[in-house]
Amino acid sequence: MAELRLTMTTEARKVLTDLLRLIAPAAARVTVNRANVPAADEEIAGFWVETLTAQASEEARLLSVAFAGAKGDPAVIVLPNEAQALAFLRALSAVRLALRDLVFADVTDAQLESAEDLDDESLPTEQRHALACYACFGLLQQSLIAQLNPEAFD
Amino acid sequence: MAKPKLKPEIKTESLVSAAPRWNVVVLNDPINYQAYVVMAFMNVLRIGAPEAKRLMRAIHAEGRATVWTGDRERAEMLSLELQQWHLSSLLEQDG
Repeated sequence: MAELRLTMTTEARKVLTDLLRLIAPAAARVTVNRANVPAADEEIAGFWVETLTAQASEEARLLSVAFAGAKGDPAVIVLPNEAQALAFLRALSAVRLALRDLVFADVTDAQLESAEDLDDESLPTEQRHALACYACFGLLQQSLIAQLNPEAFD
Repeated sequence: MAKPKLKPEIKTESLVSAAPRWNVVVLNDPINYQAYVVMAFMNVLRIGAPEAKRLMRAIHAEGRATVWTGDRERAEMLSLELQQWHLSSLLEQDG
């Protein structure tokens, strides 16, 4: 598969990069905390936590490198192969989960599922800003899936 | 000198595995897009898009669905892989 590209304005890249710097370390923690680890088996539980922790830090590194390397106007993130693209896709999911847990803890699932209907004017500035980033990360995911496998869409 | 051929009597009995089966269950979540969930199922469960979409719709409609049933070791591995895709999955003993 040829390389995949994600394009965004330089302003969007800057905002998303700044947010990632803040949220990426927490995203790794959220990933592990949310996991339904089979607690009855200590050995398995240990393996799961180790695996998820390693993956979470790799995802944080991948996002950081990708956004930092997206130069030009518009800014372009280049993912050289499918494996990198899939990892990037998962990493974006981790960040959205972290935003959900850390910034939108008081927003209901139903409200978040129809985030476009959320009355963002009523939200505090920090949440409004995070909601825009949450939506942008989602758009990047959709764009990536459209390139990877358009069949995945209904 | 050739040895006489012996025809050993071999008794076989079929052993029916009574090992319990395990379900890998995925819960609905409001964060991951439907297409993302379909991609996750196609990659982890090695199934085609139609089946992945059927499972995704079942989860969306019912709040949860069993996406795989079988032996415990494989179920644990699949559940972990689904969690690496940041889906909410859990293991349940079948029956």
